[in-house]
Amino acid sequence: MIRFLLHRVGQALVAALGVVTLVFFIQRLAGDPVALLLPETATQADIDAMRSTLGLDRSAWVQYLEFLKDIMRFDLGDSFVQNAPVIDIIVSRIPHTLQLAAGALTVALAIGLPLGLIMALTRGRALSRWIMGLVLACQSMPTFWSGIMMILVFGVWLKWLPSSGTGTLAHLVMPSVALGLLSLATYARIVRSALIDELGRDYVRSARARGVGTVRLVHRHLLRNSIIPIISITALEISQLLAGAVIVETVFAWPGLGLLTVQSIAARDFLVVQAVVLIGAFVTIAANLAADILYSVVDPRVRLDDSA
Amino acid sequence: MKPMFKALLTGLTLGILAMPVVAKELTIDLAGEPASLDPHRQWNPDSYYVYRNIFDNLFTRDNDGKIVGQIATAWENTSDTELTLTLRADISFHDGEKLTADDVVFSVKRITNKEFGSPQLGQFNQIIDAEAIDETTVKLTTKGPYPALMAQLVKLSIVPQHVIEASDKDAFNSAPVGSGPYKFEEWKRGISVTLSRNDAYWGQVGPFEKATFRAVPDAATRIADLQAGTADLVVSINSDAAMQLKGSSDVSALSAPTERVAFLGLNLDKPPFNDPNMRKAASLAIDIVGITEGLLGAGEIPMAQLSSPAHFGYSEGIEPFVYDLDEAKKITSANAELAATPATFATAPVFDQRIVQAIQQMLNDAGFNVAISVTDMPTYLGIVRSAPEDNAELNFGRWSCACQDADGIAYPLLHSDSNWSRINMPELDTLLNTARVSLDTEIRQDAYNQVHQIVRENYLIIPLYQAAVLYGASNKLAFEPTANESMFLNRMQWSD
Repeated sequence: MIRFLLHRVGQALVAALGVVTLVFFIQRLAGDPVALLLPETATQADIDAMRSTLGLDRSAWVQYLEFLKDIMRFDLGDSFVQNAPVIDIIVSRIPHTLQLAAGALTVALAIGLPLGLIMALTRGRALSRWIMGLVLACQSMPTFWSGIMMILVFGVWLKWLPSSGTGTLAHLVMPSVALGLLSLATYARIVRSALIDELGRDYVRSARARGVGTVRLVHRHLLRNSIIPIISITALEISQLLAGAVIVETVFAWPGLGLLTVQSIAARDFLVVQAVVLIGAFVTIAANLAADILYSVVDPRVRLDDSA
Repeated sequence: MKPMFKALLTGLTLGILAMPVVAKELTIDLAGEPASLDPHRQWNPDSYYVYRNIFDNLFTRDNDGKIVGQIATAWENTSDTELTLTLRADISFHDGEKLTADDVVFSVKRITNKEFGSPQLGQFNQIIDAEAIDETTVKLTTKGPYPALMAQLVKLSIVPQHVIEASDKDAFNSAPVGSGPYKFEEWKRGISVTLSRNDAYWGQVGPFEKATFRAVPDAATRIADLQAGTADLVVSINSDAAMQLKGSSDVSALSAPTERVAFLGLNLDKPPFNDPNMRKAASLAIDIVGITEGLLGAGEIPMAQLSSPAHFGYSEGIEPFVYDLDEAKKITSANAELAATPATFATAPVFDQRIVQAIQQMLNDAGFNVAISVTDMPTYLGIVRSAPEDNAELNFGRWSCACQDADGIAYPLLHSDSNWSRINMPELDTLLNTARVSLDTEIRQDAYNQVHQIVRENYLIIPLYQAAVLYGASNKLAFEPTANESMFLNRMQWSD
């Protein structure tokens, strides 16, 4: 177990370094933020002066080594655009991202799991097809549309919920639903197919023959045996929810990391982008690691040392 | 009606009338959060909306666009290169310290210090010295005669020397102290900035006890916030959204022409637009009224010069471009091969792509062979500023110098010294130089009249229109949009 963990942490560090290096150089290939920081009327001399103030006139290698040196000291540098430490900017966004991810995951699990279960148990019947239709609708609605529709209905017409922004639990409802709808569909379908898979197994037949009721069957046997794919999907979803909520965050003016990333890329705020990518890489790796460990907890057949 | 009930009703009505008026807290939705609230360390519209309320400037523009004194009460050109200003003696910063001539000198020196690296340096680098003559008198010295000085000083926020010198580099940016009608209160990173009224302000304070500027990146969400009543004023909406607001009785769209001028830049060093006839054909092919009224519809005004009525140096006598597709085709068909030279039309996503596509279509209808190239803004700026051989044949631009002086747009786009310009005409350079350094407004105006005429006659660039700005606002708010797109809280009114 320890050996496995050390191995994975080592892998994680190498992967994170690779990702950051890639982002570092790709960003610089595309030019620098100076033209955006200055008025349209800036002369070449103004631009050169600004470039030297920001240290962007040095070669990319020098900047890269400097960056690595700073990273070792946990110094992420200062944002070119906001004149503030990158760490402060990112830390201010993390709680919002966590809230939204938790909200969306709750929506997805609380609705997606039961829907998948019902679909599996009523396979071939009209109800199952109706639910599948609903699930597909959730999955195919673009969030920029479903988000703005929710805002119009619940924020503008009914005035039940605040139309955008953060602050209270009520603010969290619509963004969570908008973001959760996508994952909801994934869960419902995964649970459905995993359960259908299990339903055909011999142990289910013999349990049924012993007279075990549906509720007990699902509770005692089926859910337990189909939990592995759910854990894998959750690990993927978490890393996606943390990094990829860009559209929902934009529509609802939700100040999470996704929105920050997009705005920083557009503004070529290199250091912020690098920091977000670094965090994203670690989160993805950590979520997968957690999933690996959970497998062995819920299913003794999985042995970590063997798979490592 | 029973007397008892009547009495009750009267009592209730009186009760309501006697209730204290709850002070209005204004909420404004911007597209982004301020980059920084240190007025000298950014060039960013979302910062500008906010910090202009925190700081006073030497001069300001009234709602009609006229330059009037703010901190300065009197001013005099003591020589061709010296402006001597008398300051108000009764201004205090939000921490209670007096604003003195030393703070003005400090502010000028701070923004013009190369080491400091202000993005606005280019706007103030003509000022070479600032000197406090006494407590309320300051003398500014410029490199040469500089007629746009006062127009530039409208944007120079006066910051407190004692606060900045006592704090480290980034501290002032997150907790600014000014002398303006509103005090900085709170910045929730990524969410909003809240200001509160400075009741000790020397001038008009305005009706709002507090004002919150929120970052709402999606325009449809800003409109929804306005309609839901959670925002009172929203920026950056388009004419479709304005149409949507027309049906409402609570909110409406406000618009004003700005000092931004849209233009079609031509590469005069490459075919097909190195040929004046082809440039003329391009101008004839563009239905500018169709674009401003049919596509934009926010009050944009067609322009045939690189300035607008909001600028000093606008010329009344410039003939508008005519739209005549047949005539354009006649010219291009006389040299169809040249006209069909592949031409790249550089643009960036921030510009309204409907206009870019319409122009492409109009030019291709007339026999040109134009292909649009959309790149992100920094790449676009790089292309447009590159050497003629690497440059695109066409580019769309929408410029403002934030100074409302023809010099700000015409010089960089037309003078051969500037790397924005594709033009090399000594005659034009001489006129632009004259207008840049003369303190005689008549000489300047005359030079600009000639500049605009030369550009028009030779089709050196195709000016398109004076851009308009659209806001969505609650009907209870009285707000007058201005050409410099300022948003002064103390000039607004509120009626319940």
